[in-house]
Amino acid sequence: MTPSSRGQIPDSHELGAPLRAAVIGAGAISLEHLPFLRDSDRADLVGICDLSPVSAKIAARRFDAAAGYTDVAEMLSSASPHIVHVLTPPHTHASLVDMCLDAGAHVFCEKPMLPTGAEAQTLLAKADALGLHLVENHNYRFNDEILAVRDLIDNGQLGTIAEVDVRMALQIRGEESRFADQNARNPIHDMPAGVIHDFATHFAYLMNTLSGHPVWGPVSAHWNNHGGGDLFTYDDLDALMIGDAEGNPVHGRLRFSCRTSPDLFSVTVRGSEGQATTDLFHPHLEVLGPRPGGAQLTPIVNHLVNGTKLAGAGLRNFGQKLLQHGPYHGLVRLLDQTYTALQAHEAPPVTPSEIQGAADLIDALLAPEARR
Amino acid sequence: MSAKHRIFITGATGFVGRHVVADAIARGHDVVALVRPASSASALAAAEATGRLSFARGDLASRDLAEMMQGCDAVLHLAAVKGGDFFSRFSGTVIGTESVLNAARTAGVDNLVAVSTFSVYDYRQRSANSVFDESFPVISDPRGRDEYAETKLYQDELYEEFGAEDGHHMVMLRPGMIYGRDQLWHPLLGGEFGPIDLRVGAKGRPPIIYVENTAEALVLAAEALLDPARQASVDGQVINLVDDDLPTQSEYAKKVEALEDVPSSIFVPLPIMKAAASTVAAINAKVFDGRMKVPSIALPDQVDARFKPFDFRNDKSKRLLGWTPRFDLDAALRRSAGSVDLVADRLAAS
Repeated sequence: MTPSSRGQIPDSHELGAPLRAAVIGAGAISLEHLPFLRDSDRADLVGICDLSPVSAKIAARRFDAAAGYTDVAEMLSSASPHIVHVLTPPHTHASLVDMCLDAGAHVFCEKPMLPTGAEAQTLLAKADALGLHLVENHNYRFNDEILAVRDLIDNGQLGTIAEVDVRMALQIRGEESRFADQNARNPIHDMPAGVIHDFATHFAYLMNTLSGHPVWGPVSAHWNNHGGGDLFTYDDLDALMIGDAEGNPVHGRLRFSCRTSPDLFSVTVRGSEGQATTDLFHPHLEVLGPRPGGAQLTPIVNHLVNGTKLAGAGLRNFGQKLLQHGPYHGLVRLLDQTYTALQAHEAPPVTPSEIQGAADLIDALLAPEARR
Repeated sequence: MSAKHRIFITGATGFVGRHVVADAIARGHDVVALVRPASSASALAAAEATGRLSFARGDLASRDLAEMMQGCDAVLHLAAVKGGDFFSRFSGTVIGTESVLNAARTAGVDNLVAVSTFSVYDYRQRSANSVFDESFPVISDPRGRDEYAETKLYQDELYEEFGAEDGHHMVMLRPGMIYGRDQLWHPLLGGEFGPIDLRVGAKGRPPIIYVENTAEALVLAAEALLDPARQASVDGQVINLVDDDLPTQSEYAKKVEALEDVPSSIFVPLPIMKAAASTVAAINAKVFDGRMKVPSIALPDQVDARFKPFDFRNDKSKRLLGWTPRFDLDAALRRSAGSVDLVADRLAAS
């Protein structure tokens, strides 16, 4: 299969037609992708591949895929997908993405796509040379709350952005945690940042996109293993970064902890005119900024408005929970936009430079000089 | 007493597994117990002391599972995941079973005692109080059912595939709700609805079975499968397991309440629970397009599965396995409430 020209999908795809989609890996994360692929008019689910025959068979049955496979090469050859979702553990991504690109398919890869920025660069360059698109899952960028924050930034309500704070608290060491099972070691432990690598891509792309994609200057990262033991490489991250002083001197703070409660994924953006805060696990949006009534009344109006919104968010979140509109809802929006773009032979919403930028920031956080 | 066999048991340190190990050893068999690398095997200390138990340290996904099974006459597969989201259950129960059966194929272990569940039956297909035996219909489409039933149905498919292969022999046991020490209060009495505990129904006689009775039936099934004279009678059979003289929900609850603290709960008559569940299901379908996540106790098929009264029978298990429940309800509750090491006690009684 030969791509017809740079930036277009393979010749076999007719402009506007549904994309022949395939999935590699029928694990837990596939349950976030497969409902879209089953239900969307933009996708025709032609195959699901997993090393476990029963996983491939049952996933194909549950999500109305044309066939289940246990061999990637066979699926790529038989099903001729236009796009493949690579949903396997991270250490397998490089070879699988490479195979899919060689087969002439676009790739939508789960995060973290690759362990290092250099490896990401190699595959992004290969995709570009083949006229194919390689997209990493940056789902939280497409959540309602982050889009609302982006609107505030884009329409100038927050002024010039000076600080971005991304903070996650998650009980990764809890008894119920899939990362803490000594009997079934999660492969994410083998990534350079250990378990935190599973979330680092989210931190990095949110930091980059909300701070205006600065060239990061000094980065200081404290990686800790407060809980000790051999299973976890790190269970705590506290990092500060400052943008290029001559370009965009934004300050960033990334924080991950498994020692505080409740679980949260908060994002705060502070600008010269105001600030916005949200929590992606328990969605709400607090905006502090100039209000009618002047400087004297602004703090009171801010509290009244945000208090009312917070109460409303509580009720709305209860309804959203009942309707299973969870923190991963941005993925469906991202997939829909990606498929819409590819159907039209246009570029998807997550760009190679954004993918590279996230990988490079993780590299910077792990670099020896950041730990001094 | 049957001939001596070597039986590979998964889930060996679990609630049921430890009693199966004890019973198998008490009946003269050798046991290879699969125990996860970081899990304690202290529950099996008395069994280990007999010298008839060896441990295979690994889990269902271990690459050397087939090697661990070498020389065994049968696999008795108990391990399953009963909690968590769909994928946790699918991974632990279905993929785990696939791995065990593949290992058995590689190791040349042709005999399988497969443990299924009553949850695979379609309780909506027959009217209340009708006879419930192995001819009761099984759920035809797993999709849309609760995660436990769905994954156990997929597991049953794997069992049946294995049993249908040349040279393989398989008997599938479906125990009712298993109770025992630390697990006396069970979901067939009621359950959580958000922050509230509900008791649903009082007069039904749920299909319960005491854990040590279950263990003995499973070992008897292995013996029957491995006995050339009896193999044909159980090969490919599905056998339900419930105790004799099943108590009503109310009778059972009163006896348990006399032994231990039970959750304080609100009583809901079964017809009201059924009506409420049907109403919620209709609203969910019409208003929310089925997207609303409803607590399992309020799902119509779950209400039927857990509380609808039937006339549960155990004739087939008695006939094919030669099994009679060793402990009646009172004896079972006494043993459950006591502090004696039940594994050691079973071994001492042999």
